[in-house]
Amino acid sequence: MTADESSAEVEVPLTTKPLSSLDLLNAKLYTWSFWKPVMWAVISIVLSLIVSAVIMLLSGYDPLLAYRTLFYGMIIQPDYALYFATPLILTGLSVALAFKCGLFNIGAEGQVYMGSMAAAIVGYAVALPIVIHPLTCLAIGAIAGGLWGFVPGLLKAYRGAHEVVTTMMLSYTAILFTQWLATYPLREPGQVQLTPQLPAILPSAAIPNVVGNYLHWGIALAIVSVFVVAFILNRTVLGYEMRAVGFNRDAAEYAGIDPRRNMALALGLSGALAGLAGAGEILGNYGRFIDHWSPGIGFDGITVAVLGRNHPWGTLLAAIFFGALRSGGTFMNAVAHVPIEMVGVIQGLIVLFVAAPRVNDWLAKSGFGYAIWVKNEPKIAVPNLAALVFGVISSVLALGYCTMKGLGGMFIGLYFLVAIVGAVSFGMTLSKYRRAPFIHVVLCMLWLLTGAVDSLYLGGVSFRTAAVMSIAGFMIAVALFWVRSKMIKEGRCQP
Amino acid sequence: MMQAIDPNLLLLGWLIRSTLEMSTPLVLAALGGMFSEKSGIVNIGLEGMMLMGAFTAAAVSWYTGNPWLGLLGGIASGGLLAVVHAVACVTFKGNQIVSGTGVILFASGFTTVMLKVVWNAQGASDPVTKIPDVYINPIKDVPILGTAFGQMSPIVYLMFVMVALSYYVLYRTPFGLRVRASGEDPSTLDTAGVNVDHVRFVAVVISGCLAGFGGSYLSISFLGFFGKLMTGGQGFIALAALIFGNWTPIGCLLAGVFFGFLNGFQNTIQILNVPELQLYLNFVKMLPYVLVVVALAGIRKSIPPKAVGTAYEKEAKA
Repeated sequence: MTADESSAEVEVPLTTKPLSSLDLLNAKLYTWSFWKPVMWAVISIVLSLIVSAVIMLLSGYDPLLAYRTLFYGMIIQPDYALYFATPLILTGLSVALAFKCGLFNIGAEGQVYMGSMAAAIVGYAVALPIVIHPLTCLAIGAIAGGLWGFVPGLLKAYRGAHEVVTTMMLSYTAILFTQWLATYPLREPGQVQLTPQLPAILPSAAIPNVVGNYLHWGIALAIVSVFVVAFILNRTVLGYEMRAVGFNRDAAEYAGIDPRRNMALALGLSGALAGLAGAGEILGNYGRFIDHWSPGIGFDGITVAVLGRNHPWGTLLAAIFFGALRSGGTFMNAVAHVPIEMVGVIQGLIVLFVAAPRVNDWLAKSGFGYAIWVKNEPKIAVPNLAALVFGVISSVLALGYCTMKGLGGMFIGLYFLVAIVGAVSFGMTLSKYRRAPFIHVVLCMLWLLTGAVDSLYLGGVSFRTAAVMSIAGFMIAVALFWVRSKMIKEGRCQP
Repeated sequence: MMQAIDPNLLLLGWLIRSTLEMSTPLVLAALGGMFSEKSGIVNIGLEGMMLMGAFTAAAVSWYTGNPWLGLLGGIASGGLLAVVHAVACVTFKGNQIVSGTGVILFASGFTTVMLKVVWNAQGASDPVTKIPDVYINPIKDVPILGTAFGQMSPIVYLMFVMVALSYYVLYRTPFGLRVRASGEDPSTLDTAGVNVDHVRFVAVVISGCLAGFGGSYLSISFLGFFGKLMTGGQGFIALAALIFGNWTPIGCLLAGVFFGFLNGFQNTIQILNVPELQLYLNFVKMLPYVLVVVALAGIRKSIPPKAVGTAYEKEAKA
């Protein structure tokens, strides 16, 4: 008996020992469900970089030089990158927090403006001691932004007004309202600038810089906010309830959670984070409220949250990535003369790819499928692979001709058609659609047609390319149809 | 012949004209949004599709010198961007709002980069060939009518045609019935043997074409050049008009014209240059946005299509 008791006493601490968060993290690192979203994000970034490279190539920029300077610029100035990342962390958290409760706060921009305006007013109109002043400004800014988010939250919860529409509309309202405040009642007296602005904040309200000319202590605030939001979401009753409502509203209500209260609170908190972002930028960076000061940090917050998959830590990483992209973009603009808006294109593409994670699945599956196919049945797979490559090359070449100057409208239209048919042929061949060979033949005929039109009317600008493409295309077509007839004979393909 | 016309009458004519001009892109884009949302796909990306249409229309018109080709190009490019949205949302069942945001971000960046590439300009393109206005000579000298309708872009008239056409397609054709069914109850439509994804795909592409049409109007008919981010939130106002108009073509027209009237009213205030009114210009600008919030909050019941925003997944074969 005693032996049994003692052995039980030895075993008890082993089985009931509480797992530390480090253990949990360790366990997580070995699960596919943890790595899959990360893989998706990385694949989306890579895909969007590839598409952007094609766009750059077609518009006459050198993508290799551009990406070299972009990555170099991303690495050499970490403080510049963090300076861009500071507001993005907060707006990203704002969007992510609302997302966790099943709400899409698309109007963070308006909450940013309300928060920044409130902070700017307290910053110049109230005299307070040195540390208390910025903290008061930040608190007031957060409250103002929070109220601006709480209103659509209430409307969503109790009147069923869709938050995507109301937050967006209130965002425009806020921008116009702050513009009015800055133009008439609160305009800096005797100001000569064309853009309306408020008087500068008092020196006691300013947030000092950490290092260099850009990075201010707002970054610390942003990182603390990540901790706080992660804590609220994962370790408190409020966060648990919010996540439950976001996961399944009806089930949460059945379990005794009030979804209305939680939704209103979530949008309120989300607005407070956005307001904090605005207040921090005014106190640490701009020094006063200027009409239309924000370079779209509210809207970029959506990008950040989407890439970070609405996880607080993911949001932090995504914000730093986008901040680095922005700082690299200025470097790229200076050295490779690629417009800074190219960064916006990359961002948009990343969001598009992340929006549809099954694209990645589909590409990966098709890619692996092709690799196995080529290995097992090279005679059948290689013509298909050739058709695949042919479609891509056609598309890119034709788009290249589209952007050439001094050609007639008909010629551009014809080549645009070739580009689209090329893309369609690529997609159909990749998904192994059984009529894909016919689309391929149409593509070859279009090449022949453009070549003919070219030599008759335009003096052969692209005659040689068109001839080579159509000959190569028809050779692939012959192989494709040979394979197809063989497969029909074997009964593996419908005629 | 010309008698001294009361300036107030002139102003009234001008207000009517301005209203029609301002409402045209809104109504066209709202109709686009209607097709998409009726079929069950949220199209936040209207703004991006309008911008793309505006840019392409201007670029094609500049290259070829033919604004009608430009219009075609603008419509096609809006549709092409909608194909991207449709592939993401319909084919791959992605998040519709996120994808729409991506469309807007992409279009804003892409058109600004291309503005640099095509015209080597930062803010606005070179002037391009505009679609010639339609003159109605008999009424040119009639006091109000002359100012209002004497000279007008043909697209304004086309806009009314599109409203009628949309109404016909949506309520009088089998395709329209399918679009409405796939937005209200996709599983029933599926049971009836119609491919829900095909219907939605086509509806989203139509939506992009109409938004591109509205954008083209801005660049090659209204202004005659492409400006950086020239749509300036009109896509979102179109979305508001769509909701305000209760997801129907006639409603879109009325709401679009009402928002257009608010815009025209602003312009008139600016021309009048009365300082007291100038002071409250921003509040006039806010009105459409606030009205939509108030409308959604329950002054008037608005009923969106039931299945809007959710991807339709076929049940797995048992």
